[in-house]
Parts: sequence; C-alpha cells; structure tokens
Amino acid sequence: MIRVTCLRIAVALAMAFCGHAQSTSQPTLYTFRHPAMGTEFALYLYANDEASARPIADEAFDEVDRIEQELSNYRPSSELSRINQQAAAAPVTTDPETFGFLEVAQHWSETSGGAFDMTVGPLMKVWGFFDHSGRIPSQTELDRVRASVGYRNVQLDAATRTVHFRAAGVELDPGGIGKGFAVDAVVRILHAHHIQAALISAGSSTLYALGSPPGQRGWRVVVPGVGDDKQGISTVWLHDTSLSSANCNEKHFTVDGHLYCHIMDPRTLRPVEGRVHVSIIDPSATTSDALSNVLFVDTPAESEAFLQRYAPEARALIVSGNAAAPRCSTYRWQEPVDATHCPALSSQGR
Amino acid sequence: MDRRTFTKVASLSALSASSMARAVAPAVKPLRLGVIGGGSRGQEVMRQFLHLPGVSVRAVADIYPPRQAEVERLTGAPVRFMADYKTLLAMDDLDAILIASPLACHAEHMIAAAKRGLPIYGEKAMGFHPQECQQIVDAVVSNKTLFQVGHQYRYASWAQESYRRIRAGQIGKPTHIYAYWHRNGNWRRPVPANDPTGYLEHLINWRLYRETSGGLVTELGSHHLDMANWIFGEVPSSVLGTSSICRYHDGRTVGDNTLATFNYSEGRKLFFSSITDNAKNGNELWVYGDEGSVQITMEDATFYYEKSKRSAPIAPSGQTVVQHGIVTGSSYSTAGEMPYRGEGERIGTQAYEDSTLTAVRSFVEAVHGEHPVQADVYVGYGSSIASAVAHEAVFTEEKAAIPALKTT
Repeated sequence: MIRVTCLRIAVALAMAFCGHAQSTSQPTLYTFRHPAMGTEFALYLYANDEASARPIADEAFDEVDRIEQELSNYRPSSELSRINQQAAAAPVTTDPETFGFLEVAQHWSETSGGAFDMTVGPLMKVWGFFDHSGRIPSQTELDRVRASVGYRNVQLDAATRTVHFRAAGVELDPGGIGKGFAVDAVVRILHAHHIQAALISAGSSTLYALGSPPGQRGWRVVVPGVGDDKQGISTVWLHDTSLSSANCNEKHFTVDGHLYCHIMDPRTLRPVEGRVHVSIIDPSATTSDALSNVLFVDTPAESEAFLQRYAPEARALIVSGNAAAPRCSTYRWQEPVDATHCPALSSQGR
Repeated sequence: MDRRTFTKVASLSALSASSMARAVAPAVKPLRLGVIGGGSRGQEVMRQFLHLPGVSVRAVADIYPPRQAEVERLTGAPVRFMADYKTLLAMDDLDAILIASPLACHAEHMIAAAKRGLPIYGEKAMGFHPQECQQIVDAVVSNKTLFQVGHQYRYASWAQESYRRIRAGQIGKPTHIYAYWHRNGNWRRPVPANDPTGYLEHLINWRLYRETSGGLVTELGSHHLDMANWIFGEVPSSVLGTSSICRYHDGRTVGDNTLATFNYSEGRKLFFSSITDNAKNGNELWVYGDEGSVQITMEDATFYYEKSKRSAPIAPSGQTVVQHGIVTGSSYSTAGEMPYRGEGERIGTQAYEDSTLTAVRSFVEAVHGEHPVQADVYVGYGSSIASAVAHEAVFTEEKAAIPALKTT
C-alpha cells in the first residue's frame, strides 16, 4: 500500500508540473490580519476567491511567526536569544538564514558608522523601552552598558557560520530590521504563488507593495502629517517595492515636557533628538527597515551622503524639527510634499 | 518498553541536556546529512541541525520540485537534490539520514534507510499502519541501525525536570493525563492553481486525507502519547475515540476534531483532545496525581499542589467552640469546588533551548558514539502503534486493542 501511495504521488507530480493556469475571472481584494512581532501584520491580497486566498495568507503568517520565533529577543526560545545568551562565552554556530540576517545587519551598521546598530539591546532596556515603561537612566547605568553597545562587539565568521561577542553583556535587538526581514520573506511566498497584486504591512511601519491593484498605477501609501496635522504631507504609489517609516508617535515617553523617542543613537547612548519622521522606499524591505533608522539618527545632510554612496536607488522623505515646526527634506522623492504643513528644510538646517 | 528501559532513557536524557555534557564535548566532528522529505517539518529540523557545529546538509530527496529552492535558501548553498530517495541512500558520502517525508511513506523510507545502515533521525509518528510500526522496529533491530524518533519534547529541560519530579512522587501517583492540542486554523497548505486532478492537493495536504494521514490523533497527539508512555512507563493497551468534521467541510476525510481515551494498566488513562477552530488551550499536557498536578507546555512546566488532605492537630483554641458553640447555617461552600487560580511553581525558564535543537544535538552526539540514543525505536513504537490504532478507532468509535511489540 505504501509503495502504491508514494508512486501515485510521483506520477501525479509529473502530470501536474506543466505550467500555471491563467484565470480569467476578476480578482477580489481579501484582507487578512495577524498579530506578530509586537504589532499587527496585514495582508491585502487579490485572488479569485477566499478559498484560494486564505491558505496563502496562512502560509505567509506562518512564515512571519517562524521568523519571529527565530529572531525575537522577547522570546527566550528564539535563535537570537540563544545567541544573546551564549555568544559572549564562545562562538555560536547558527543556521544560514540567521547568519545571513546578521550579516545584513552588520553591513548596515558598518556602512552607517553605527547609526544603525543591532547591539542597542541593553540601551533599550536601561531606557525602559524593552518593557514599555520608559525612564531616564542614570549616568551610572549608561556607563555600565557603554562597553556592551556597539556593532564592533559582534564578530561574524562566515567560514564557520559563527557569532561571537567580543564583550560581555552584548544583546542583539532586531527591532530596527526584523519586520523588514519578515516582510521580504512574505513577498517570496507571494511570488511563489504567482500573486499579481498584494500589499503586506508590518504594523504599517514596513510594507511591501507587490504589483498594483487592478486599474491602479500602484498601491497608495500616505505619509502622515505631524502632530495635530491630520492631512498627509505626501502620497506615493508603490509598485514592486517597499516603504519603511520611523517616527516617535507611538513609542516614547515625556518627562518635564520633553519627549524621549524610542529610537536610539547608539553612538550617544541617548534617544534621537530633532527628527520627527522618516519614510524610505527601497526594493528590499529589509534594507528600507534598517535604513529608516539610519535616516532617523543621522542629519539629513549625512543621510543624503549615505544614500548616494550605499543605496542610490532609494527614495526618502525626512521630517526634522518638531511637531510644532516640522521641516521636510527629500532624497529622490518623486511625489509632491505638502510645503504648507512641512516647509522644506533650508540647506543651513541640513 | 519496560520500566527499566524508560528509566535508562530518562537518565541519559538528563545527561545530554546538561551544560556539563556540552562543556566537555570533544572538538567539532563533521556530520553529513542526507534528508528524505524536504517539506515544512523537514526544513525546520534541518534548520536545527545547522545550529550545530560540523553539521552540513549534503543531499535532499523530495518528489516535489519546488522544495529544492526552499531547501537551498535554508542551507545557503546548493544541495544535491533528487526525486528518488534510493539515489540518496546510494550515496557514499553521508553520515546520517533525516526522514521527514509524509507519514504514509515513513515505513518504506525508514526500512530502506535501516537496511542501508546509516544512523536515522526519523520524524514522528514512526509508522502509519500498525504492522508498519513492527516492521520498522524489526528492520532497525536486525540491521543494528542507530535510530532516533522525532519526539523532541521529552528532550526539553523542563520536561526532563517534570519527569524527575513526578518519579520522585511530588504529585503523588500520576493516574490521569489530560492532553490538548487546540488550534484555530484549517490545517490546509496552499496548492498551486494548476491542479485539475487534485493530485497536488493530496500531495501537499496529505494530512487531510485518511489514506495518507493519521489525523489529529497521530499528527498532533503522538507527542502527547509519547509523554504519557514515558510518564506511565508503558504503552497503552487499548483506545476508544471519536472524531468528526464540524467546521471545515472542504473535502477532507480526516476529522477536524478528535477525542481519544487511551487505557493504561491499573486504570490509568490519557485523554487527548484536539480541535481546530479554537486555540484557547493551545498545546498542553496536564499530569494529575493525588497530591498535585503539572502542566507541561512547549516552553515550560508548572507544578500545582493539592490542598493537604490531612487534618491539622486540634488547637487549644478549640475550646472557644466548646464554650460559645457555632452558628448553624448552609453547609455548602463553592470554594472547594472552584478551579485553582493561583500561581504555580514554574520551571524550565532558565537556559531555555528549542527542544528540537536539544533533540538533534543528542542525536549527533549519539552518532559520534558519545552516548546511546534516548528516544530510540522502541520509544517510537510506543507512540506510533497507539496512534495508528487510534486513527482507525476514531472512525469506528469502538474500543480497539493496541498490540504489544513482538520481540524475537
């Protein structure tokens, strides 16, 4: 019976792989949501019917869950947690996917001179952002974590696929790149199923637009206004590309009227000041997610120089200043920006 | 498996899981893995193998061509890929075989691999039909093949500690195990659009069809069966079950829910429940004894203790009752019948490690001769024979005997 079953499957496969059928019916938009990575993922998918759309959504969200299980620093069972626990004592062998993820992260750390840095884990904890409490650490606490923060503490050996921390207390935090990595993985699944039009959103901070909705030139994405401004300051139409945003609207705390943002400058060990919002478009969601941090931490002038050198195909909108007086600067941004609500940043301010 | 074998397995597991065992491990030794079945579970086990120094995936056999790209993305390098598992078994540069093919192919693949003589890490459930479970044991034993079944939960540090405490009598005598694997999803994988005959549907969604799937009681329940066998120290003698399709009327021929009672000696029982439209319970296993309970999950274990049944010595203050009497009234109190809602004693949260990683590390150590296999072919038999019989029993809804292993 076993041989018959297995043989039958093999013959069936030979018959089945003869190309992909083209459907003639009009696709319908289906929306699926899934909590993961501390936020809600949403998949907007055009398909012929729900019966064909739902398994693809399930597979996509299973992949997100798998990556979260691999890379979450909130889960003690994750591969990243295993590395965090053991890599200071001895080199830790990891799987190619995790190693590749760390290589990408390390690449952007090195090229940005530490503006993006996955070793901010201890910093996020002393500032209370790991558990959402939010607090100003003492200088003693900052001095204590100083030695463990810095991408140069992470040694990757491609030959042995090992990770080694050069200092005790190093903790990798995937918060600035993990969602983009998951979005790219979902896009691979959508491509494998020959999906023509879909939008995957990781809590709206990182999203990828696959194809375009029927009759549209792309997926419409609005860059929101700042503070009480309910109007968007720019609208883009995305097609086969990703967009990532960083801002402090939802994760911050205020002490004596001063807003402390959850995005850290790893070089000063303090929250970034003077940046309100950034959005960056790049074909890779992993890249746009990581670079949204770089653009948030660096000055607009530094960001422009960085993009010209390392991500020339990217497009970016950077809002600096504060909620009361935002100033916009752009890099290859092709859509109009509402100068009424966000005047252009003067070259002096860059 | 007898009690002595179970005890041996337990002590070996404790040794392997300890940091001491890893600290004294010798220098990295290469292990070249051949894989039969590169689907979702096979890929996850491969990923865990690749967390170990010296392990490489040399070749993968799978009849579904898209798996090649998936596997190569996982391994980060080209892998020799083939449709015919016999070609893989004929390779002379492999050190071990991972078998993660669909359940209905396990016996064919495992028996062939056993004859090849290479160490086997075989996914659960070991066999599909009852007679196959016996045939796999016979092949492994007669060929003296090193075999480990993929029951990774018994390798988890918190499961090991729970087992030790249960054996030490901390919850009294364990008599009942209630196991749940409740999910909220249709268990269906996407199928390419061009599948007019439904062949790909049956290939990819083999778990949904009776001729290739053991149903929920096997695909999910075999882990709980293994834990119950471990804790009770034996294989159940019979099973009574039921199943139906109440949510997903999509052509599947196995139930989307199941409930089975497995009978052990001295009246002890395992109750297994699986539903697929509510995930409140998740995957958990409760072991009940007359002095306490333990809840074992995929990440931890928590102990709870019964209120003392013994009366405290009468205190001198009892005189107050004598002097003043007591106020009569209703005798019924709900407090004694309410579920316990306080905290338990949680274990297993320190030095956490994915249980599959712990299991495959132990396998590699066994291949290198550092210790015997823990979840061996007899462990695999215990859970797979019970689930194979249960798979039929949930359709007949009649009590079915579970055959004991025939030893020569």
